[in-house]
Amino acid sequence: MHSPLIEVDALSKQFGRLQVLDGASFSIDRGETLGMFGTSGSGKTTVGKCLVLLERPDSGRIVFEGRDLLKLKKKELSRTRPRLQMIFQNPVTSLNPKMRAIDSISEPMVIHRKISKEQILQEVDRLIARVGLRPEHLARYPQQLSGGEIQRAVLARIISLQPSFVVADEPTSMLDASVQAQILRLMMKIQEDTGLAYLFISHDIDVLRAVSDRIAYIENGSIKKIETNREKRSWARS
Amino acid sequence: MFLLEVKHLDVGFKTKLGTVEAVNDVSFHIDKGEIFGFIGESGSGKSVIGMSLLRLLPRNALVKGSAIFEGTDLLAAGEEEMQRLRGKEIAFIPQNPSDSLNPLMKNGQQISEVFEAKGHGRKEAKDLALKVMKRLLIRDPRLSADRYPHQLSGGMKQRLLTGISLSLQPRLVIADEPTKGLDSITRRSSIEFYQGLEGKKDRSMLLITHDLDLAYEICDRLAVLYAGEIVEMGPAKKLLDDPLHPYTQGLINSLPKNGLVPLEGSSPSLLDLPRGCFFSERCRSCISDCIKSHPKLAQNGGWMKRCILP
Amino acid sequence: MIMKFVDMFFSAKRASPISSGQVKWSSYQRIFSNRMVSICLIMLAVIAVIALFAPQIAPYNPNDIDLKSSLQPPSSSHLLGTDHLGRDVLSRLLYGAATSFTISTSVVLLALFMGIALGGAAGYMGGLADEVISRVIDLFLSFPSMIFALAIVGALGSSVFNLILALALVHWASYARLMRGQVLSVKSNDYVSSARVIGASDRRILVKHILPNALAPVIVLAALDMGHVILSAAALSFLGLGIPPSIPEWGSMLNAGKEFMRTAPYLTIFPGMAITMTVVLFSLLGDGFQEVLDPESEVSGLVSS
Repeated sequence: MHSPLIEVDALSKQFGRLQVLDGASFSIDRGETLGMFGTSGSGKTTVGKCLVLLERPDSGRIVFEGRDLLKLKKKELSRTRPRLQMIFQNPVTSLNPKMRAIDSISEPMVIHRKISKEQILQEVDRLIARVGLRPEHLARYPQQLSGGEIQRAVLARIISLQPSFVVADEPTSMLDASVQAQILRLMMKIQEDTGLAYLFISHDIDVLRAVSDRIAYIENGSIKKIETNREKRSWARS
Repeated sequence: MFLLEVKHLDVGFKTKLGTVEAVNDVSFHIDKGEIFGFIGESGSGKSVIGMSLLRLLPRNALVKGSAIFEGTDLLAAGEEEMQRLRGKEIAFIPQNPSDSLNPLMKNGQQISEVFEAKGHGRKEAKDLALKVMKRLLIRDPRLSADRYPHQLSGGMKQRLLTGISLSLQPRLVIADEPTKGLDSITRRSSIEFYQGLEGKKDRSMLLITHDLDLAYEICDRLAVLYAGEIVEMGPAKKLLDDPLHPYTQGLINSLPKNGLVPLEGSSPSLLDLPRGCFFSERCRSCISDCIKSHPKLAQNGGWMKRCILP
Repeated sequence: MIMKFVDMFFSAKRASPISSGQVKWSSYQRIFSNRMVSICLIMLAVIAVIALFAPQIAPYNPNDIDLKSSLQPPSSSHLLGTDHLGRDVLSRLLYGAATSFTISTSVVLLALFMGIALGGAAGYMGGLADEVISRVIDLFLSFPSMIFALAIVGALGSSVFNLILALALVHWASYARLMRGQVLSVKSNDYVSSARVIGASDRRILVKHILPNALAPVIVLAALDMGHVILSAAALSFLGLGIPPSIPEWGSMLNAGKEFMRTAPYLTIFPGMAITMTVVLFSLLGDGFQEVLDPESEVSGLVSS
C-alpha cells in the first residue's frame, strides 16, 4: 500500500481580507522533490510555512506520516516537529547574527538530544564535513560567511535533526549562479544519502526543472496543476 | 570618437583590514547607440564600475585611471561638472527601485516632475508623463499615474524608474541590475521591454547584471568580470554561445538549464589577490605558468580573453 | 589597582583583533577596540574612581562650615576656593561626583529595567498586552519631562530617593518604546522562525535570539541618556528641588553659587565644567557604542532632552 509522506488537503488561510490560501491540495512521497512554482503573492511561501507549523491555516488538513499535524497534542507535536524542517531564502537573516556558526549548528542537538558536549562536537565535525564547510568556518559569525557558506551551515543545522521532510523556500535565489549550482547539488546529495523529501519552492522554473520529480503550479492560493518533470538531472556522483 | 572611453580604471577601498582591490585595471569603450554589458557575480566589481563613473563611491575609495565621456574625464571632473552630467547626460538606474522612488509622491508626478524641470508647463508635463508610461507598457497608465510606488509590483517599479531616467533623454544610461529579485515571468517581460525601447539608436547603455539571459538578449558587446578584472570581452551572443575563458565556461555550465555543473571553490579575497591568474585556484585547466605570472587581456579567437591557454 | 585597570584597556586596544586581521570577536567584545569608547571609558572610570575615593582624597569635609573663610578665591589651602558658608569647593566637587554618578546610574538602571521588561513584553507578546502597554508608554511620553519630574518631586518631597524615582519615571518610556520596536523587528527575522521550527522553547527564543539582537540600540540609548540624567538632576537641584542642599551635588552647587556670580564666579564655573565634561564624555561614549553595536540606527532622535 502506497501512502504519501505528507498529504495536504484543502488548506485555506486568510490574512485580513486577503485570501492567501484557497483550498490548496497536494501530496509528497518519501524521498521525492516536489517543486512548487508561483509568482509573488501566489501563496507559495505561506504553504511552506504552514507545513512546518510557522503559520496555522484556517482550515484544511496536513497529514504527516499518517497523522493530522493540526490536531496533534503539544507533547506529540514536539516529538514530531524535528522531522519537518525549513530552509529560508535570505542567507543574511537565516542565522542569528550574535551566534557563531558552531553554536547555530549545534543548537538543535543542544535542544533535543541528551548527549554530552564532546559528542555534540564530534557530531558537528561530521556534519560540516558532509556540507562542505571547514573547521575555520565554525568560529565565524554569519557576517563573516558568504551566502553559500551560510546556506551550508543551515543545512548542517537542519540535518542534525534527521528530518524526513524539508521545505526549501527559494534557498538559492539570492546566491550567485555558480554558488547556486554548488548548493543545489549538495541538497540533492543529502537527499540521496538520507532519503528525505523536499518541497522546493521557487519562482525560477529552470531551477525547478533541474531538481524536481514533479512540479506543482500555485496561483491565487490554490494548486492549478501538478506535472511530472522529465527534465530532472540525474544526480550520479561525479 | 567613442561615447565613453575608460582606460585603466582601478578602484580600491581602504578598510581596517587593508585595501580591498575591487576593480583592477579595467579598460573598455562604449560606442554611440551601443548597449554594452558587464556580467559577473557578487564581488566581481561590476557595480563599483558603474558607481565610479558617476563618482558616487564612498569616501574611502581610491580611484585611478580615466573615463572620457564626450571630451570630459568623469574621474577628474569637479563636483559641479558631475552634477551637470548626472541625471541629464548620464542617467543611472539603481538596483533597488523601492529605495529610489519617493513613496509620498504619486507615480505620474515622479515623471512629470522631470519634464517640468526641463521647462514644460504643468499640463504639458502631465501629458508627456502619461505618454512615457504608456510606452513603458505600464498597465493602465492613467490609473497607475494616480497611484503610489508601493502599489506597484517590483517589475513595474523598475520600469517607472527607467521611465524617469529616460525622460531626461540622456546620452548614456547606466542600469545596475535591472532584473534583480524579479521572478522569472517578470524577468521575461522586463527583457522584452528593454528590447523594445524606442530610440535605441541615439541612446547608449551600460548594463550591469548577473542575469545572463538579459545580457544575451539585449547587449551588443559585453565584458565578463572576475575579481575586479575583465577576463573576456567581445560580441554578446557569440561570447555567451561559445565562451573562451574557463570562468565564463564554468559560469554558463552552472546554469540550471545547462546541467547545474558547479564551479567549485569561491572567488579570491579582494584583500589578498594572487600574483598569477586570479581564477587559477578554481580552474580545471590550470598549469604552473598560470600561477607564476598574471595573464594579460589579449586578442584570442574572435575577441579578447585573459588566459594563456588556447 | 588603577594602573591595572588602565593597562587592561590599553592592552585591549593593542591586541585589537581588527588590526591583527582576525575579525572574530562578537560586537559586544569589539566595543573595547573602538578608540573613542576606550578613551571615554577610561576617563569616566577615572572620575568614578575619584568619586569612590572622595572621602580619602578630599582635603576637607564637604559640610564643614567655616564662616570666617567664606567666599575665598582659589588659593593654596583651598585649591578651588570656598563657598558662602566657607565650605571647600574642591571637596564638595569630589563628593558631588559621587552623588551625581550614583543618581544617574540608579536612574538609568531603573529606567532600563522597566523599559526592557515592559517594552520587551509588549513586543514579544503582542495582542492585548501590547495594546495596553503601548498606551501606558504613550501616556508617559506625552508629559513634558521636566515638568513631570518637578511634579513628582514636588508631590513626594525632596530626597535623593524621590529624585531617582521621579527621573526614572520620566525616562523609562523612551527605553520601552525603543525596546518594543526592536523586539518587533527582530521577531520578524528568519532566524527566529528557524529557532521555532527546530523546536526551541519560547524562553530560549527570547533569551538567546531576541534579546541579544534587540538590546544594542537600547544600550546606546542608555549611554547617551546618562549625561542627560545628570543634567536633569542638576537642573532639579538647581531649582531647589531634588537634593537637600547639605548633600553636595553639582546642580545644587550651581544653585548656591548663582548669587555670587559676579564676586565669586568660580563657585559656578567649576561645577559647571564638571557637569559639562561628564555629559560630553557620556555622549561620546554613546556615539562610540553606536559605531560598534548599531551603525545604522537613528537612536539619537529618541533621547529626551
